Amino acid sequence: MAKRIVLDLDLCCGCRSCEAACKAAFKGEARIRHGDIVGQAYLPLACKHCKEPLCMAACPVDAITRDEETGLVTRSAMVCIGCQSCAFACPFGVIDAPLVRHVSQKCSLCEDREDGPRCVVACSSGALQYLSDEEIELHEIGMRMVSKDAFFRRKA
Amino acid sequence: MKTIDRSYTITKKTVCPFCSFGCEFGLVFNDFGVSGVEYLKEGSSEGRLCPRGSAAAFYLNHPKRLSMPVKDGKTIAWTKIVKDMKKALEKPKSVAVTFDRNITIEEYHALAAFCRNAGIEYTASTYCEPEALLRQFLETPSTLNDIDNAEMIVVVGDPFNQAPMISKSLINWELKARNNRLIVIDSIRTHTAHFASDFCQVTAGTEALALLGLAGETISGVDIAAVSGLDGSRIAEIGASFKAAKKGVIIVCLSFAHCFDPLLLIEALSRLQQYSGKNVMPFVEFAGFEGNHYFGSIIELAKRKKVKHIFNFGELFPFYYPQLAHALKGVNMYVTSPIKQNGYTTLPVALNLEKQGSLLTSFGKKKLEQAVTPASGARTVAEILSHISDGAGQEKPFSAPSITVDVKAQAASLAQKARMSKKKTLTLLGEKIAYDFLGLLDDPVLKVNPADAHELGIRQSDTVAVKSKHGETALKAKLTNDTAPGVVVVPAENPDVRGVFDYEIMNDIVCFIPTEVQLWRKE
Repeated sequence: MAKRIVLDLDLCCGCRSCEAACKAAFKGEARIRHGDIVGQAYLPLACKHCKEPLCMAACPVDAITRDEETGLVTRSAMVCIGCQSCAFACPFGVIDAPLVRHVSQKCSLCEDREDGPRCVVACSSGALQYLSDEEIELHEIGMRMVSKDAFFRRKA
Repeated sequence: MKTIDRSYTITKKTVCPFCSFGCEFGLVFNDFGVSGVEYLKEGSSEGRLCPRGSAAAFYLNHPKRLSMPVKDGKTIAWTKIVKDMKKALEKPKSVAVTFDRNITIEEYHALAAFCRNAGIEYTASTYCEPEALLRQFLETPSTLNDIDNAEMIVVVGDPFNQAPMISKSLINWELKARNNRLIVIDSIRTHTAHFASDFCQVTAGTEALALLGLAGETISGVDIAAVSGLDGSRIAEIGASFKAAKKGVIIVCLSFAHCFDPLLLIEALSRLQQYSGKNVMPFVEFAGFEGNHYFGSIIELAKRKKVKHIFNFGELFPFYYPQLAHALKGVNMYVTSPIKQNGYTTLPVALNLEKQGSLLTSFGKKKLEQAVTPASGARTVAEILSHISDGAGQEKPFSAPSITVDVKAQAASLAQKARMSKKKTLTLLGEKIAYDFLGLLDDPVLKVNPADAHELGIRQSDTVAVKSKHGETALKAKLTNDTAPGVVVVPAENPDVRGVFDYEIMNDIVCFIPTEVQLWRKE
């Protein structure tokens, strides 16, 4: 069953535990990053593992592949030539452009860890969740408003 | 999905050493040593870890880790250092023993026994952060249930950034009922302030006065509302409804150099506690120990040449407080530290993760299992003590002199300082943020109001030099309305940045205070 990292923006407190957890696990190269929306909200950016990944389409050497069963989009470090095409193609800007090891960094949903991605367990406010498509349907993501800013208020 | 062979990794359970919350996590070992941390669902924080906890493996294997004692910039044998220290101990009246973070309860008792045996009188904690004084509130510990059951919560500081472990409880509490009120008192608009129902943005450094106002105190000669910049009737309304609320809690996260008088702030907190009958939940980075004195009096003794040698057992001092080096000029310092410290005789020491013992945490005593063997060359405090002393003495706990706070006089002087700082151009405040630890993520940024930045010709992301009478440093600028005009905010985890702050010795306690600084754009 395809599972994804889901962000409930209303709950994010901007502590950046997710980024630190990723960076500590992947030798100083974070694959989830942190955006700051003009001081109003904090937005962790992680790979969405798209159904039709543009990064995969852009890759000239087919280093990026999608597993139809799990929905996981993976990149093979052995095949990657570090051309950055995927980084430019990604509409969410979540593939890291700085090429530390001469290949681009990409979230693998911590497939080496049985209990799911590290950023999700490390999340101190419960904003990041690891859910399947069915669970996402049932979950009221972004329907609860914590921020008191009128611009972001969705539920009184 | 491809399977990965995990059989060669081992996970050892341990307690996070970085703050007094004492979250449990696992250290993962592979063939090459420690490879990272593992998040344990059964831990007290349900596996959640703040950025500092995630960085624990970095900390153990830091490239700057010391493996030999260093004297005058050169490595030296342990036997020579021990000889020097033993020689100093021949005149125990000229030796002061100090300690800070990274010692266990057992090591603290061993230090007490050592001092008694050797006849050392001057002992003090060198952990010069205001939260060390919050220890008194740990005697009646609060639990996360206090947050769940509260109707109203008063927050001083920024727990979302400083103590992210409680953020889930706090957010769930706020979501539960719409009439729950979260009051945030701070001089800058922090992450927590965005979530507040009432954000009381006080004038820089005057949190103590706002708290006294909430506690219904009036001080003759000090207009609390005018100095703190809050509406008097609003303070009274919040104070009264907090008192009337059936259940509530006061969460305190004190930042470095954020308040002009930390002692008055602690006194104001206990007054608010008495007035409202609510519990105080302090965030304490180090639920530390106390000596027979406070560090301010050791500095005074050093100036009068009564103390000639200081043995510091811990990891932060003097690395974290470079401005104190000037006050301690001429003193022979022996410091235990995991990293090299210029200008001091440094002894490599084992970290808490490498020891066996027990730790003092906000949620009681926690047992510490030895997860890793000490790094090459590093020794535990107990081992160092056994080298320099001949036998164990009778242990007797230290007792620090009591602190008396003259509220009227100190409030008047705080009001005076706040008025003076308004006249000056720029006041520098410190901010504690967990992700800044070890420079794990980005470079630290300096927050400055756009109006000030425009005047000084500073643009977004420019490198800016910050200079005070104690030192100078450079940071990247972030223009934001979160800080009031005339206030500049820097994260205070980096020693270079900490070194800029001014300090004052009040009641023998070293207090770091908001500092007057100059800013300019660096080419």
